[in-house]
Amino acid sequence: MIEQYTITNKYNFPQPTIDTALPQRFLEQSLNSLKQVQHQPLQLNPQNLQQFSITEQYPSSIQLKPQPIPIKPDHQETLIAAVDSSTIKIGETSTGIIVAIRGATVWRQNHRYKYTRLGPFIFHITEENKNALYNVLERAYFSFSYGAIHQAAPNIMQMPMRLAGLLERWLQTMIAKTVNHGVILFDGSLTSGTFDTPVQRLKEILGYARRNDSTVLAFSKATTLRANGILITEQLPNREPPYLLETTGIHFKSPIILLGDVYVARLNKANFAFRLDIDKETSEEQRMDALRKLIGNDLYAQSYPETLRLSHILCTFTANEVLAIQHFITHKHGIQIVNRPDMHRLLFGPFGSGEIYA
Amino acid sequence: MKLYKKEGNILQIISFPTESAEKGDYLLVEDQDAAKALIAQVIDVQFAAVPGVLEELLRTLPDGGEPLQGEDIDPMEIAPHITYIQDASLLICKIRATLENEMLSPSSSWLPSRSQSTIKKLSIPMLMKLAKIDGKLPIILGGTKDSSLLTIDASAIDGTLNIITGKKGCGKSHLSKLLMVNLVGYRATVVIFDLNGEYTSLGMSNDGKRNMYYDKIHTLTPGQNFKVALEQLHLNTVMGILVNALHLPGTSAREFRRIWKMLKEKGKLNMQELGEAIRDLNCNQHVRDALASRFHSLANSGFFTDCPGEATLLDETVLKSKDQGGAIVINLKNTSNIDRQIVVEYVLGKLVDSLSNWKLKAVFLFAEEAHLYLRETYWDDIVTRMRHFGIFTTFITNQPDTIQENIYRQADNIFLFNFTNEHDLDVVSRAARVDAETVRSIARDLPPHHCLTLGKVVSDFPIVARVRALDIKTMGETRLFFKD
Repeated sequence: MIEQYTITNKYNFPQPTIDTALPQRFLEQSLNSLKQVQHQPLQLNPQNLQQFSITEQYPSSIQLKPQPIPIKPDHQETLIAAVDSSTIKIGETSTGIIVAIRGATVWRQNHRYKYTRLGPFIFHITEENKNALYNVLERAYFSFSYGAIHQAAPNIMQMPMRLAGLLERWLQTMIAKTVNHGVILFDGSLTSGTFDTPVQRLKEILGYARRNDSTVLAFSKATTLRANGILITEQLPNREPPYLLETTGIHFKSPIILLGDVYVARLNKANFAFRLDIDKETSEEQRMDALRKLIGNDLYAQSYPETLRLSHILCTFTANEVLAIQHFITHKHGIQIVNRPDMHRLLFGPFGSGEIYA
Repeated sequence: MKLYKKEGNILQIISFPTESAEKGDYLLVEDQDAAKALIAQVIDVQFAAVPGVLEELLRTLPDGGEPLQGEDIDPMEIAPHITYIQDASLLICKIRATLENEMLSPSSSWLPSRSQSTIKKLSIPMLMKLAKIDGKLPIILGGTKDSSLLTIDASAIDGTLNIITGKKGCGKSHLSKLLMVNLVGYRATVVIFDLNGEYTSLGMSNDGKRNMYYDKIHTLTPGQNFKVALEQLHLNTVMGILVNALHLPGTSAREFRRIWKMLKEKGKLNMQELGEAIRDLNCNQHVRDALASRFHSLANSGFFTDCPGEATLLDETVLKSKDQGGAIVINLKNTSNIDRQIVVEYVLGKLVDSLSNWKLKAVFLFAEEAHLYLRETYWDDIVTRMRHFGIFTTFITNQPDTIQENIYRQADNIFLFNFTNEHDLDVVSRAARVDAETVRSIARDLPPHHCLTLGKVVSDFPIVARVRALDIKTMGETRLFFKD
């Protein structure tokens, strides 16, 4: 017998009308999916799943403006908020996989960091339930604007990232709706038009932020964009940071649309730079103002905003948590954990490096 | 609980927060297929090396060491499971025995199944039943952690060498009093070298009234109600005092022997005649001076008298205790170092005398801080020769390094109270019936009045117990300046 859960209705942002439909559906779907797996054996296979980046077919016309734009810190008290999500495969059943998903928002205000973590949500994803699962969650999020669109769910292995993406977009929406006159940091780019990031969805989020006089800055930890054959983050001029390098000539093939302008940001003396996407619809002055406030209000380790780093750290699953989740599904849902032999190891001995790395 | 590792006679067991186990507890690791079980004692409790715990702790400390504040919305309630895993502990256990067909053997040579073994706590009463720690002469030492009584058999102290040791003020004297009164209750003869006069009130209860032992406690204070006449003494006893306590050289000892025999033949064996005989002795000046100085020591001790009416016959007191049991408290309080040694030499000499003549069957000797009055050669004597005569000694000390190593090696029972000093613990851990890890780990954390009992009395299953209270007037308290 599975207990009926209810969502804790006390989200941390001072907003009177917070839409909790998505977390509610997440919880319902999570419990429904786990019902189907009761008394099945589970093969342990914890595996961190990275959010896959869109394969950006960059045009050869990308250019990096040689003249850096210096940024002077503005210490005016400004709320800096960041969002990230994470997913991990806990194990495999005979019909599918069990995954855990969690999202985190972190904000810095009055020189202190605070956070809200949502999850973990645990799903049993099978070929049978993946469409229903994905569409229920999609509809929960896009009940008004996209309710009619019935999307085909991705294959099982992509499902965890898709579900984590949904949670992350929902958290971004909540932040964009609630933060006024702040700087909102996203993990990744502002590229849209993909299965998990429809153009309209990202436009909407950026629109909410603009309406609240907030600016969205999206930092990519890695990029494939090259100018003259060299990665744009590796063409740093010999100038005192912090500064921005502007790019020109980036155009993706349809249906992919870039909703931001792409820069290279080097925020401190650490010899690292990151791709930075800034909402196209914001003015030049607003962009620079947001960057100045970001530098004046946040900390930087390795040239990366601490708020964003913390949001990543807080949602990532530790080995301890994976053990706890295994303990949870074993005790609450009667799932029996089995250790099947790794065929690579079995067949090839020390030369078999295991399925993960095969 | 789950069996994790076995290395030698050490077991490592994973325990979860709902399964409380502490240092000193006993566990039964049962392998039903093998029809055997291991009895292991928890000697240390550590955090289990759960992967990811470090990351978990680190991510809440972002900058400047201030904890990150926030809220976890955890609708599936996974957090208790995280805490459950994070707080798992690793129990380091010492294997004490193997249980097979309800018989115990000290073996730890077999390996129980890691996956199939069941682990549960073994209560002290159950352990005592299995180890047959009972008997016809029970002495209740105190209460164990699981609210049961630790009862030892008085016969397990019979013929043994015992040590009671621990820090100052942790209850050593209290335990020795408890053992004494129980032995007296079983009609044993007990002799106590009472350095601080704290056993003199064994016959009184807390409220100052006489207790059931009143008539069996005989306090002898040297120079007051405990004096001896030379004519009551055997030459060997006096020679023992002169040579061992007063360090009389060999040549002078020969002269003394001659004087003694001469006075005895004349029937003039008393202090006055002895003094005059030494004064008039026609011999080497150095010999005469040596004898004179020893004579003055004997005379100044106040322990010797020429008045037969004043003399107390130790034999008589011993005989009083022989049939109904009794404790002879030799009160050494306010006695100088030399006088203490004279008295102790005399008492031990007389006891050996009585025992060798079968006037006494056996004596339980309790010696507090024995290094202050026992000559070095007596240590070996007590544990080897005197044991065969029937003197069974219990040493009580707060300075374990004052007891020689060979005493520890031969000790049958050790009653160990709290020690924090590593050096003290090292000394005690040399005892043959004790393993160093148990002593170091458990004794360090013992609360006041709790005693780790090791050795024959507990069938070599170390057990921690809180020593029970006694209704006996306390005399061992330190005198304080700042006290109303």
